[in-house]
Amino acid sequence: MDETRVTVILVMGGLAYAARVLPQVLFIGNKFPEVWDRFLRYLSYSFICGIISNTLFVTGARFDSGTAPHRAAALVLAVFVAHRTKSPVTGMIIGTTLVLLLSWFR
Amino acid sequence: MLFSPRFRQGAKAAIPIWIAFVPSSLAWGIAAQAHGFHLGEVILMSAWVYSGPAQFAVLAPIAAEKSSLQILLAASLMNLRFLPMSTALAPYFRGVRLWRLLPAAHFIVASSFVIPYLRFRQEFESRGGATTDQAPIDGQNNLSFFLGVGITSFLVWVVGTGVGHEVAQGLPGGFEEGLKFILPGYFAGLLVIDMRGRVLPLICLATLVATIPATLLSPDWGWIATAIVVATVGWSLEQWMKRA
Repeated sequence: MDETRVTVILVMGGLAYAARVLPQVLFIGNKFPEVWDRFLRYLSYSFICGIISNTLFVTGARFDSGTAPHRAAALVLAVFVAHRTKSPVTGMIIGTTLVLLLSWFR
Repeated sequence: MLFSPRFRQGAKAAIPIWIAFVPSSLAWGIAAQAHGFHLGEVILMSAWVYSGPAQFAVLAPIAAEKSSLQILLAASLMNLRFLPMSTALAPYFRGVRLWRLLPAAHFIVASSFVIPYLRFRQEFESRGGATTDQAPIDGQNNLSFFLGVGITSFLVWVVGTGVGHEVAQGLPGGFEEGLKFILPGYFAGLLVIDMRGRVLPLICLATLVATIPATLLSPDWGWIATAIVVATVGWSLEQWMKRA
């Protein structure tokens, strides 16, 4: 195992644990303000979308113009199917199938 | 406490979480293998970090050997959502000794938070309590239920990611494009199902689009800054409109 990776994973886990355990120690009997709860939710969603965009459309510091249209089409299809079927797994399978087919026939 | 009737109740209640965790853990394991992670690293991250979205977020940056600060900042900001979850659960563990709470806190994730929290609220209200100060709470019993949900879901997640990693190794060439799409496709589906209101879809769409030029301008920090700015602007606008 790569030493740097393991260190990053260990620190990351430690920080995640701190976020989980601190309220158990400090906030017993208190309520987390709803308005901040909402902000953290928006932040998480925004991060996930940023990562999706980064993973699918950018390689290094370059826009992946060759594969971006295929991946964008697969993403739209995956989202549409997931929304209609209420099943993210079904959306993922359909999107992955499309992106595979498009990459094979390119 | 472990394997008590209350723990088994929690384990039974967690079955829907196990079913949801199987595909997502497999998908993450497959994606981790595609990013060059070893099985030991996959198991370590799943067991120690135990946070699907954060694990997803750091796969590519770790594989690309981006700065540790960037990776940790992104993961930590995503994991901040554990604060309200843990805060909401805390009153229901009243009377439990700290040394029992410390290891139990590790099992708090979105899925294992929702089921116990709703259950504790229902039980509490059925006893006639409007706030957690007005009715007795059996913290030990609640903790057993929570552990029944949390430990079993945790095991499914860790084993699933390991299995996904091994499955991906057996795939023939030509599937790289599909492997790259699995996790983003799954998370996009999860988000769209979970979305309520008008602000969240707008935030997601704006981030999806704005991340591309931002990453081209700054490959390391562009997407993080964009995500923070878009979420903050969306949230501020919503607050402003509520007051207006």
